[in-house]
Amino acid sequence: MSKITVPIGPQHPLLKEPLSFLVSLEGEKVTDSVLRLGYVHRGIEKLAEQRTYIQNIYLIERICGICSHIHSTTYCQSVEALLKLKVPKRGLYIRMLLCELERIHSHLLWLGVLAKNIGLNTLFMYAWRDREIVLNIMEEISGGRVSHSVNVIGGVQVNLTENHLSLLQQNLQKLNTRVKEILRSIENDRSFQARTQKIGHLSLEDIKRYCVVGPVARASGLDIDIRRDAPYAAYDELTFEVPVMTEGDVWARSILRVLETLQAIRLCVQIINNLPDGPVSIPAPRRVPAGEVVSRAEAPRGEVFYYVRSDGSQNPARLKVRTPTLTTLITLPGQLKNMQLADVSAIIAGVDLCIACGDR
Amino acid sequence: MNTEKAAIELRDVLNLDKSTTKQIPFNEVEISIPKQQLLLAVKTILKSGIWHLSAITCQQLEDDFILLYHFWKSGGLTLQIRLDEKKPQVDSICPLIPGAEYYEREAREMFGIEFLGLPNPVPLLLPDDWQGGYPMRKKEQPSYDKTEGDDLLEKGKSS
Repeated sequence: MSKITVPIGPQHPLLKEPLSFLVSLEGEKVTDSVLRLGYVHRGIEKLAEQRTYIQNIYLIERICGICSHIHSTTYCQSVEALLKLKVPKRGLYIRMLLCELERIHSHLLWLGVLAKNIGLNTLFMYAWRDREIVLNIMEEISGGRVSHSVNVIGGVQVNLTENHLSLLQQNLQKLNTRVKEILRSIENDRSFQARTQKIGHLSLEDIKRYCVVGPVARASGLDIDIRRDAPYAAYDELTFEVPVMTEGDVWARSILRVLETLQAIRLCVQIINNLPDGPVSIPAPRRVPAGEVVSRAEAPRGEVFYYVRSDGSQNPARLKVRTPTLTTLITLPGQLKNMQLADVSAIIAGVDLCIACGDR
Repeated sequence: MNTEKAAIELRDVLNLDKSTTKQIPFNEVEISIPKQQLLLAVKTILKSGIWHLSAITCQQLEDDFILLYHFWKSGGLTLQIRLDEKKPQVDSICPLIPGAEYYEREAREMFGIEFLGLPNPVPLLLPDDWQGGYPMRKKEQPSYDKTEGDDLLEKGKSS
């Protein structure tokens, strides 16, 4: 049978961000695929060396358009560790609230993208309708739908009022019902199963060999979550479960993310019920003492890694960012191999790529 | 096994003294090792049950290149090696940890580190026809002179 090479990307209706796949086909079967990154590379690590610590908060937020808050959280907690600052509890709780709202928003957005890629347009519309609830809450709290600029070094710059809390109470309950409804409808839906089961499989060995993190790793049976294993902010004061599945295919990743969304709602409710009083931030000096710090946090897509080295000046001497997408991207050629061309869309959507994160 | 125990075991295997180890924030142990012993060190770490490599950070410090291999298992374990500026060369750890490929490729194109045995040494983030040097090096300012499309920009300005 003759071989054909099909380019998917850098501009393609399947992809929401630019990424290039060269997929080699034998008939309908994928024999090989070559991946190319770099279409949204902005040189953020280099730019960060030329900006002050405070300017960098806003630069770092622009790494990603979906999980912007977790990036600034990880960056701020690194700098706070260098400054030996103790952030007030209320500040940490508001940070965590935004992190969890962002997780709900990211997972629902992803569910919509997957649903659209496999042709389930109703699910797409339901998921994105419910995502609006979270976006409206976040806009109410921070003034922005995706870029919140809530974090400052030493805490946060917004406070929650009684109005915010009652808005959250009402809407989180509504969201909980809706997400449970989504879970019920996709768990046993035959057409959803037919498009997602037994494709894009990753074994536990592969997950470990490629150092994969986040929902993709947990869907293959790896019990790993930075929030529980190495708690940051005040996650050690909250109770939540980490869903783990063993199937390792796109179906498991989908169910797992919906279960995680429910856990995130549970965390949000805990946070607003136990919100401490007091200030939300403390003043921070502009110069950061020399030193280095390694900081990790659990983004919606898994472990995000920051390394900051200070030489005592106003600008960081080195800022390294490793985003979770980079770990899952490397597994994609292996997942695509021997799959049908029609399943490529579901597999690419299934790992939840954020190319802007990967490229930086 | 936690990372502190793994660090002690690693020092025993490599015959290093205690001064090579330091603690940095967020529960991270950092060990400086000679670059010839990198593969042995990675093998020892894998054997002690720590298989997750979070990232590889490359940076330039006092004219030398520093490579940091950040491992993680509930706590962090970082290996530090120092490479000479004139000949930044080190063994690739991809045969042991395939997940390190993208991190090594990034350090290769951004800093010009040569990883011996890197399976796929092609650009990852920079354009294929990039001629602006190694953009992350301290002394080198990236030049955008020869990139494709710049002549179009010039033409646009003059017309």
